[in-house]
Amino acid sequence: MAQPFLEISGLHKDFGGLTATNEVSFNMSRDEIVGLIGPNGAGKTTLVRLISGILRPDRGKIRFKGKNITGKKTWDIVNMGIACTFQNMRPFRRLPIIANVMVSCLSPRAMKRGEWVKKVEAKAMDALEFAGISDMALEKASTLSQGDLKRLEVARAVATEPELLLLDEPFGGLSPAETDLMAKSIARLHKGGRFGRLHSEGPAMIIIEHKLAQLMKIVDRIIVLDFGTIIADGTPEQIVANPEVIEAYLGEGGV
Amino acid sequence: MGLLGVYFRRTVGILRTEVLVLPSRVAVLVFIVALMALPIFTQDYYFLRVLILTSIFAIFAASWDLLSGFTGQMNFGHALFFGVAAYVTALLNLKLGLPPYFSIPLGAVGGVLTGLIVGIPCLRLKGSYLALTTLAFPIILTGIVFAIPSITGGELGLAGLSRLTGSRVMDYYLTSGLMLILGFTMWKITDSKTGIILHAIREDELAVRTAGVNTTRYKLLAFCMSGFFAGVAGGLYAHFMRLAGPSGLEVGLSFQVIIWAVFGGMVTIYGPIAGVFILYPLMEILRIVLDQFPSLPEIRMFIFAALVLLTLLFMPEGLIPWVRDKIETECPRCKVRNVFSRQRCRICDAALD
Repeated sequence: MAQPFLEISGLHKDFGGLTATNEVSFNMSRDEIVGLIGPNGAGKTTLVRLISGILRPDRGKIRFKGKNITGKKTWDIVNMGIACTFQNMRPFRRLPIIANVMVSCLSPRAMKRGEWVKKVEAKAMDALEFAGISDMALEKASTLSQGDLKRLEVARAVATEPELLLLDEPFGGLSPAETDLMAKSIARLHKGGRFGRLHSEGPAMIIIEHKLAQLMKIVDRIIVLDFGTIIADGTPEQIVANPEVIEAYLGEGGV
Repeated sequence: MGLLGVYFRRTVGILRTEVLVLPSRVAVLVFIVALMALPIFTQDYYFLRVLILTSIFAIFAASWDLLSGFTGQMNFGHALFFGVAAYVTALLNLKLGLPPYFSIPLGAVGGVLTGLIVGIPCLRLKGSYLALTTLAFPIILTGIVFAIPSITGGELGLAGLSRLTGSRVMDYYLTSGLMLILGFTMWKITDSKTGIILHAIREDELAVRTAGVNTTRYKLLAFCMSGFFAGVAGGLYAHFMRLAGPSGLEVGLSFQVIIWAVFGGMVTIYGPIAGVFILYPLMEILRIVLDQFPSLPEIRMFIFAALVLLTLLFMPEGLIPWVRDKIETECPRCKVRNVFSRQRCRICDAALD
């Protein structure tokens, strides 16, 4: 039976009178990278937060690998294999960086997987190495720069060994050089393989991003949200040519 | 003899390379030795009594730090655990005739259950709302205690518990030994992997959830562990004073423990213990000194408050972390602590500033 990897149907969320996501439905498959774009306030972050269980939808269903995960606890969803990062980074500022990642390594999912030797510290170190900040493992998280904090967010998510990774603006606040590095890391992660003691199965990804030029290079498919509704869904080439998208981004008669 | 020699040399080796290199570790060693050797020099009844109570309250203050300092669940009604355990211990001892070495652990189990009962409704609360809710619990229980005097003894409490041990010196060794063991256990808990998660929950609970950790379970665990350690303190107190009364549930006691912990330095475990060992005997010394001047008005509390305020004004992190930062520096490269007088790190030889 061909079950969709992630199936979202009629997802609806209101904040007071404001509709954040309006009957959003789409499917994605196991090997896809989906870019999620749209103007500010389009409901992108809300959608990701609904999938990761931080928010509960008013209506609609989310099915992951055939199981209904709507309204489940965040930690249960993470332990089923969906990890997410935060747009505004939320490190544990008073803890060393390695301890930040060790929290993820101590989740039941990460403890179950991997090699027989499950040294948590070693695994956390591997996640840091993948993200490229292993040299700062003992520094306090409060001393990190913006770019390194983004990397820490990715390391924390990767350490749970997810099958679906939700990245909320991974390039936000990064310099062009850092953006390229991050894009390369993401592509490498998607390909899968082993990073020391970490096994990446090459997670499917949903990436929210405003830097479209970089995003186009790594994604297979783009979904455009505007006012909580999907207005376009297709390959990057189709999206660039779509008049509705251009209108949403630049306003009527903008081009 | 050869084996003994090996162990002796290994102990001396650890002492030289691990303990004597850092002033804070030397201070802890001196403290433990002094505490254990004290009855050799004096067996003064009153003096030992003060130190026994200090030890009991040190356990209590450290248990508050475990819950409120490390996990960030601000508990303004910590006396609840203390009081409940004292009452449970007293009832078990008086009604069932259990000796202290059964009644105190069972009283601590009472503290654990109290932790669960308080913890579950408090799971959704944070910050000042949590503080106010926890503040209410001991007040509610005081009402219940007064409502059923046939069981709880009402305002008078339950008196006439059996003695902790036969003699005052044995009492002293039991309480101070337990204080050291439980203090070390709590410090080890905060240093473990569970401790990292508790730390992280204080910093950002949502981020811990998205790391796949069941925060509800860990928060309840923190409540239960804290209830256990506070319960041991409550049980010891009841047996030592031979009384379990509503004074163990007072709001004053809840605030006292916060003052001790914040004065000594939160989020350290050893800070609150040191705080109690400084402030509690100080109050007794002040009492004795001020009794020499009967013409003075009651200024004991005033001196106490002024001292605590001034300390926190100049050392917002608390006394012990402040002192520790003065006498030790952290190596910028390998993060190992060194004596302040060293120019280069003792491990990686990096220059210290």
